[in-house]
Amino acid sequence: MHIAEGVLTAPVLIGGASITVTGTAIGLKKIEYKDMPKIAVLSSAFFVASLIHIPVGPTSAHLILNGLAGIILGWAAFPALLLALFLQAILFQFGGLTTLGVNTATMATSAVFCFLIFKKLVEVQSRFWNFVGGFLTGFLSVLLASFFVAISLALSGEVFMPVAKMIIIVHIPVMIIEGILTGFVILFLKKVKPELL
Amino acid sequence: MRFINFILLLSIPAICLAHKINIFATVEGNRIYTQSYASDGGKIKGGVIEVYDKAGSKLLTGKTDSLGEFSFVIPKKDDLKIVVIGGMGHRTETVVSADELPEIKKPIAVKVEKNEGYKEVPKTEITAIDTTLLERIVERVVDEKIRAVLRLIAEQKKEKIGITEVVGGIGYIIGIVGIIAFFMKRKSNV
Repeated sequence: MHIAEGVLTAPVLIGGASITVTGTAIGLKKIEYKDMPKIAVLSSAFFVASLIHIPVGPTSAHLILNGLAGIILGWAAFPALLLALFLQAILFQFGGLTTLGVNTATMATSAVFCFLIFKKLVEVQSRFWNFVGGFLTGFLSVLLASFFVAISLALSGEVFMPVAKMIIIVHIPVMIIEGILTGFVILFLKKVKPELL
Repeated sequence: MRFINFILLLSIPAICLAHKINIFATVEGNRIYTQSYASDGGKIKGGVIEVYDKAGSKLLTGKTDSLGEFSFVIPKKDDLKIVVIGGMGHRTETVVSADELPEIKKPIAVKVEKNEGYKEVPKTEITAIDTTLLERIVERVVDEKIRAVLRLIAEQKKEKIGITEVVGGIGYIIGIVGIIAFFMKRKSNV
């Protein structure tokens, strides 16, 4: 779901970049010293997750893990994903430097959105609801990110419906896998290291 | 620690796969052959190919076939920019510079003269035609032979992401976050 260079128009690039700058500023403000290790771990996880491919019909989609980063990091997901996407752009040529703002905005906005909605569900003392919260975070953050990517492409001249349909259909397996994965990670963390959440 | 192990476990199958598209263009005779593929090796089927000249005006468009290939007759001798659009925000481009392109030759029209009496052709003209024809025939045969070799080179040129980049990237992340943490700690100590 990385948007490559030269696909988007300038206003979309600037819009995405300004969302990213704002989000990163809020994130950096909220970071405390003790958060640093988990930011590094989740940024690394996001960095390698896009190398894990899931074949879907003729094409393939990759894991994203933005939901996991969001639910654990909250607003700090912005700087964490920005760093990971920057390194993906320069080391793997995924996405690009000009689209870094838009790519971070699509991924991190959906992550933070899910964090704000499902934070309570993950905090309650019920393993069932914790899992549900984790699943919905993983699932919805990919769905929302797909939706945001489709919007950015549509604003740059593509027709919205076919693009959105295509991206969302390709990412359905990713949504399910990430939902389950995020759910289990939440349960696991609740058990062994609840202060991380 | 168990969580970190878990993340490491996740990253193991990561090494051989990637997500990016590449295009490889070769000039053969008066045509340019292109191959488009994702960096995990998958062919880009039905990708849109656009060819631009140096000034940026679009010369032609086309679609890749089921092997991710598309070829076209060189429209003009100029720096040609070939763009492939793979859908869902994937796009890449390559430039074939003018000096890689051959002079554009008009196809040799072989005129069949009607039997209006046999005219003797001066001998010098015959040899001239023969050499040009021969040149074209040799060129075509060599192009066909060399195609297999070029394909092989294209296969090998496929950029795959190695463990170096993956581990290097994780190192960068830990390093950068570490530096930020260092400055945060210093600030809080003051």
